[in-house]
Amino acid sequence: MTTNIKQPPPSPPPSQIELTFTSTAIHSNTHENTLILIKDLCFLILSRCHAGYFRITLSLCCQTLLWKTLKDPPENPHTYRKILALFPSTAFLLLWSLSLLILASLSVLYILRCALFTNMVKTEYLNNIGVNYLFAPWISWLLLLQTAPFLTPKTYYYFYLWWVFVVPIFVLDVKIYGQWFTKGKRILSKVANPASQLSVVGNFVGARAAAQMGWKESAMVLFTLGMVHYMVVFVTLYQRLSGNTCLPTMLRPVMFLFIAAPSMASLAWDSISGTFDLLSKMLFYLSLFLFLSLVTRPNLFKNSMKKFNVVWWAYSYPLTVLALASTEYAQDTRSSFAHLLMLLLSALSVMVSVVLMIYTALNTDILLPPDDAGDPTIATLAINISS
Amino acid sequence: MEAIPSLIRSIDANEVVGFDDDLMKQNVLDLQFTDGDKIEPESEPEPETSNDGLRHHRTPSISVSMPQSPAEVPQSARRVAFRDDVELVEKNGPPTVSATKFYSQPIPTGVGFEEALAAGKFPSRPVKNSKVEKLKDQRYNSFKTWSGKLERQLTTLRGKPAGEKPVITPRSENLPVDRYFDALEGPELETLRPSEELILPEDKKWPFLLRFPISSFGICLGVSSQAIMWKNLSSTPSTHFLHISPKINLILWCIAVALFAVVASSYILKLIFYFEAVRREYYHPIRVNFFFAPWVSLLFLAIGLPPTVSTHIPHVLWYIFMTPIFIMDVKIYGQWKSGGQRRLSKVANPVNHLSIVGNFVGALLGASMGLKEGPIFFFAVGIAHYTVLFVTLYQRLPTNETLPKELHPVFFLFIAVPSVASLAWANINGSFDCGSRIAYFLAMFLYFSLAVRVNFFRGFTFSLAWWAYTFPMTGAAIATIRYSNEVSNTFTKILTVTLSVIATLTVFGLLVTTILRAFVMRDLFPNDIAIAISDRKPTTVRKWFHRRTGSSENDIEHYLKYVTSNEKDVEVDMNVKETDVESQRPLT
Repeated sequence: MTTNIKQPPPSPPPSQIELTFTSTAIHSNTHENTLILIKDLCFLILSRCHAGYFRITLSLCCQTLLWKTLKDPPENPHTYRKILALFPSTAFLLLWSLSLLILASLSVLYILRCALFTNMVKTEYLNNIGVNYLFAPWISWLLLLQTAPFLTPKTYYYFYLWWVFVVPIFVLDVKIYGQWFTKGKRILSKVANPASQLSVVGNFVGARAAAQMGWKESAMVLFTLGMVHYMVVFVTLYQRLSGNTCLPTMLRPVMFLFIAAPSMASLAWDSISGTFDLLSKMLFYLSLFLFLSLVTRPNLFKNSMKKFNVVWWAYSYPLTVLALASTEYAQDTRSSFAHLLMLLLSALSVMVSVVLMIYTALNTDILLPPDDAGDPTIATLAINISS
Repeated sequence: MEAIPSLIRSIDANEVVGFDDDLMKQNVLDLQFTDGDKIEPESEPEPETSNDGLRHHRTPSISVSMPQSPAEVPQSARRVAFRDDVELVEKNGPPTVSATKFYSQPIPTGVGFEEALAAGKFPSRPVKNSKVEKLKDQRYNSFKTWSGKLERQLTTLRGKPAGEKPVITPRSENLPVDRYFDALEGPELETLRPSEELILPEDKKWPFLLRFPISSFGICLGVSSQAIMWKNLSSTPSTHFLHISPKINLILWCIAVALFAVVASSYILKLIFYFEAVRREYYHPIRVNFFFAPWVSLLFLAIGLPPTVSTHIPHVLWYIFMTPIFIMDVKIYGQWKSGGQRRLSKVANPVNHLSIVGNFVGALLGASMGLKEGPIFFFAVGIAHYTVLFVTLYQRLPTNETLPKELHPVFFLFIAVPSVASLAWANINGSFDCGSRIAYFLAMFLYFSLAVRVNFFRGFTFSLAWWAYTFPMTGAAIATIRYSNEVSNTFTKILTVTLSVIATLTVFGLLVTTILRAFVMRDLFPNDIAIAISDRKPTTVRKWFHRRTGSSENDIEHYLKYVTSNEKDVEVDMNVKETDVESQRPLT
């Protein structure tokens, strides 16, 4: 099951819809007509709304976290940091509500998809790239939890919600990481691709949330799990054993995940150890280096920028995570250079997110394309419709 | 029996289209004179049935290596080296034949013919010699910067009359890394495979600058690391019992500076005059790592700075030294990660350690200078990529094409990174703590596991790159000195002395060998074969003809069939070449 194969686009749904229309009894009742139309619309959306769409929610929740961090300056901040105190808090609340809305609706849609199109979800799970995006909803919810303006980390609600979101991540971890080194067909050297780092990011996000609650040991458990598998994935990805074939050209923006994993690790360790110590710094520098090495290679991403796709949102959240790590770094080092770096990265991430939001809003019609090259279920889509 | 020679002769007399026409005849006659160049007598226009025939027709034979297939025709752009010579020398010779000639691998045949045609008659022997000399100059033009235009401009500046009109050679395409793997073999990818050909003459000694590889910077690495070791020996409290004088450090440091100046200026000259050769070195999967060596040598010189010269190094100097390393890091590590044909699982080899050690040396210098964040940055980048490289090399993946199958001094580079990393971490943290000790013990383990296998390090030809393999031993000695400072007992002191002695003896032995090679045997800089490989594989036709020593009928028939089928290819090539060359004229 690969996403490389470009299936011929299935026959346009409207004609299919007509088929079902004529096969049912002919009713001139308008009530029935609208019901059928709604049903077909739902069919359309649910069949195309794969887990990759959670990239949008990931980015939005990350942005919310960044805005929250920037909005609340810590004690005795640097002069540059004081500039950001002028940030309006209403903007943050708006963004938070927007994120919550989109995340809630997408989650509902995905639950419906699991219920009605289980075989499609199963196909996603079996796809090497798609399986990692099953982590994305939980990561988004955890991030949103951390940014909730009315929930402090010490309340019971936070605690219960943390459990609700972390248990699926842990279960998926056990399943997927175990597959890597035990199962014959799904060994890491064959399935490794840049999206595998998303599972690692999930562990780090859970660790950070736990550390903020004060639960140091669970945080350490998740951090160790993430760190060990990150090392394995990092080495395997750098070796590029399978050559260029693991990631289709359309999904090149996913390579920005190289930046996200070490930054998130740095933030998690910062929460666990209390200070931005040497390990966090080293992880942050590694992330910065990878960012520079990707940014100086625009040719890699040229082909994927030709047509708008939801994959473009994959640019946003790694940059945001990097900006978040740089705020912690600047707070620790207290040098002007660090603060300038923080401002630069934050501005970049905000700009990218805003541009993506506007672009998506303007292009909602092609948000759910029938022949999405990044859709892991595209192979079965045609089969489903034709059957 | 008599009938056969006459048959052969009649074939010779009758013109076979595409083979025995006038052009080929002139080829034939001229080739008698170009005996210094490679002639393949195997491709002959008439069949041979007996040795008599062979001998009889040996001299008039021409070398026409057929192109492998018509599909090769469009790749005319690749024949850079040949094209250059053609256009330089040809005045009014028919371009078609010269073009045909250039499908054969060795240049000189065709060029000699061209010369002859241009001269209008066949040159006599003495004239040939000087012309051949001039040919050789132009044969290197493909490697010269702007195809020798710079040289010509310099000669005009000096007042000598200008030579031929300047020619713009189409730049050869980037050689894919597969080409290097196919053409070369050996642990340093230096030896040419028997089936391969070079685009520069193999039997002549090339210009000095073309023979000067970037691995010469290994000498600077070796000597400057020795200077650091003697500095540490004289200044560390735990080795004061040895009573080493600081003067040794001063002397070695001055020698290192002088060496670096000489090597760097030679290489800069090579960069100016033979940029194409430098490019080819950059694309060589092993030599590319040596491009870090100049900067690492500079860092070593700064670390080993004798206290009598200066005690304070300005911080800006560190940034200046680290910028090229940073740029090369981004380029090379990015290639590992996202380059299709230069990915790590394919090109990983122990010399890649040179790309990584630069980060740690920079961290060491920066931390000892008092900088804080920069050293940590380079340390982080270095350790992440070192983990990747270490795992890859230990795995010895089947897709890996460059790992030497037997032990070779290049394996000593394994010791380099942990030793320097332990020192760097000690300087960053202020004390030789757990992290440093872990790295140091790893270095010691690797050292001993290689030292007990010293029996297998035999039977390798010396090369200048061996100097680069001495600095890991010196690095291990320096780390041991630092360790014995922390943990001071008899065992560590003995270890310090032993390792220092081994390092010094190795360097001394290498020095003697180098001097012997340079002045006695005079082959310190052999022809740098690795950069002169051809753009494409040589034709397999040659192999077939070599084997055709028997004289069976089948062979003749087969040969005839093969020859006639290629005849069309040759004609097609000629036509295509004609248009190519002619269409190119307005460009030049």
